[in-house]
Amino acid sequence: MDSRLANSWRLTVNEKNFIKTALQSEIRIDGRKPYEYRKISIKFGRDDGSSEVQLGQTRVMGIVTTQLVQPYRDRPNEGTLSIFTEFSPMADPSFEPGRPGESAVELGRIVDRGLRESRAIDTESLCVLAGKLVWAIRIDLHILDNGGNLVDASNIAALSALLTFRRPECSLGGEDGQQVIVHPPEVKEPLPLTVHHLPIAITFGFFNDESISVIDPTHNEEAVMSGRMTATVNANGDICAIQKAGGEGVTQRVIMQCLQLAIAKATGITKQIKEAVEVYNTERSLRKIKRHPTSVGTIVQGGQTQTSGKEGVSESPGNHIERLKQLSGETCTSQSSEERKTTSTDGNAKNLIRGPTTWDPYSKGVGPELLKTSLASQGTSMPNEKQDLRNEKKPGEAEVEGHHPEDANPGSSAINESLTGLQTKKERTLEDAVKPKSKRKKKASSKTGAS
Amino acid sequence: MEINKQLGSPASFVDQTVVPGDVVLDLSTMTNKTIKLGGGLRQDCDSISVMKAGKLRSSKPNKYWVESSQKRYVPCVEDTILGIAVDSKADNFLVDIKGPALAFLPVLAFEGGTRRNIPKFEVGTLLYVRVVKANIGMNPELSCTDASGKAAEFGPLKDGFMFETSIGLSRMLLSSPTCPVLEALGKKLSFEIAVGLNGRVWVNAASPYTVVVVANAIMNSESLSSTQQIIMVDNLLKSIQ
Repeated sequence: MDSRLANSWRLTVNEKNFIKTALQSEIRIDGRKPYEYRKISIKFGRDDGSSEVQLGQTRVMGIVTTQLVQPYRDRPNEGTLSIFTEFSPMADPSFEPGRPGESAVELGRIVDRGLRESRAIDTESLCVLAGKLVWAIRIDLHILDNGGNLVDASNIAALSALLTFRRPECSLGGEDGQQVIVHPPEVKEPLPLTVHHLPIAITFGFFNDESISVIDPTHNEEAVMSGRMTATVNANGDICAIQKAGGEGVTQRVIMQCLQLAIAKATGITKQIKEAVEVYNTERSLRKIKRHPTSVGTIVQGGQTQTSGKEGVSESPGNHIERLKQLSGETCTSQSSEERKTTSTDGNAKNLIRGPTTWDPYSKGVGPELLKTSLASQGTSMPNEKQDLRNEKKPGEAEVEGHHPEDANPGSSAINESLTGLQTKKERTLEDAVKPKSKRKKKASSKTGAS
Repeated sequence: MEINKQLGSPASFVDQTVVPGDVVLDLSTMTNKTIKLGGGLRQDCDSISVMKAGKLRSSKPNKYWVESSQKRYVPCVEDTILGIAVDSKADNFLVDIKGPALAFLPVLAFEGGTRRNIPKFEVGTLLYVRVVKANIGMNPELSCTDASGKAAEFGPLKDGFMFETSIGLSRMLLSSPTCPVLEALGKKLSFEIAVGLNGRVWVNAASPYTVVVVANAIMNSESLSSTQQIIMVDNLLKSIQ
């Protein structure tokens, strides 16, 4: 009890009075004007459909996932949308873990209403089998830091996550055409959601003195203000939702003013969201192009990272990625991957690194003819046999693999490609396959030099 | 020169960021020297290693300690801090000092305080107080008088604006010679400031504008060096004029 008292945040009388007096002269404590928004920064995670929004000190993370479920009885043709909020205790001392409190439920409701009532997401396109199977979209909003105005930040996080989310493509098949096959992302490119418009939530705070209203209140201002209103509008000037839950009464004129202001702000924020999503999409498509050579490496990454940990090899990210690249060359077939795994668990990752340097056909994105000529120039029979086996498998698999999610940084993978390309130019023999430690260190230093 | 050579190891680490596990001094090379270790350092047989992440500081002739900046305050005796009144009991006021426990401020710990003129603090009053007792596990005890019993500026602070910072920043603001940010601000603006070692700073000035400028300048100056601070303040003042 005592520690809880000691840990909770308190507002002094001085602060309360100061915030109000400063507002009389149109100044806010962080230097903003009353109708100025804080800086918004939108970042995306590596997976599709995860975003992190920072609004001043407030941080919210939005994650979108999807699942095939049975639709509701009264809407057999439409997918569903549901929003879950989590007010993490690390965001604010007053947030408790467990059941969502009143403000958490209200926040979820505001974001939900903005998206659902305005039909921003096309739910009919989420239908797979009418009456039987539809996609259920689930948005999880995690509050990481409470610096005030959680509603706006959560809304932007939800929208950014929805815009970058990709759902798996599925088709009907089977004997009677009723079986649904969900294609994994490697087989068929996942599809984005159909979003008609972006409903942006703008929150206003009202103070005792009726004529004072501010936009985007901070944590301190929220503790002092006597009323709040959230208007969800879109850039076209449509009002999607308004939420005013109790608090100070305001006149009609003030509400109209706030709505007009909200529409003006919404255009700016919409543009920012769209730009951030653009950047993410270009980055994503760039990643897909370069991902080709390393696509197999990621499968074995799990096993290999453990062994490298055991060995205690200190690896720079460049080293690790190079090892992946080389492993990608040799572990096309399951049998060779088992081989490699057993050798690696013996702690002989050094030999692994030796072996594949003799062969890397994808260093310059070459075709099969060049592959065969380069293999022919590499000499002895034994490595060639293995390589041929791998070579045959690789082009086949590569077509199927296509778009595997990638861990390697596109920048360093480019460096890797150039380095390993240099190495394959030298003539290699079986002896080269068993390389002493010094060669590895030399390569490591050249790696770190390049990266 | 000789001294520098002898203190080869610690001198290289002084005023640098160190992390737990760093060995900053090897005692086997030094004989007949007394070194005083402060917080954050520990002796392991012949080596001195770091226990806390922060900057290694030293003062002549032979004191070394690690200074780090946190948000949580650990009460120490004779610190001057800013507390917020939370509750009043029969004998004490309960004051929040950003520490692990609430602190007690005896109702008589004021200049000329008697049972008849006990001050009344409403919840949320900001108080400038001094720590009298700070033991682990017990609630700290405060006082609104200095050691000799005079008021000496302690007591409730009226008006103005309070904001919270890290412990390191408040220590920097209280360092002597005057911290560059305060000096640069003081040249152009007139304001009143009270800094608590528990990471709370109170600013008051004639116009709310000045208060906002000072508060934001101080909050931005934590990670800047002295010249950067002066440049930042100059830019801020120029942009508002």
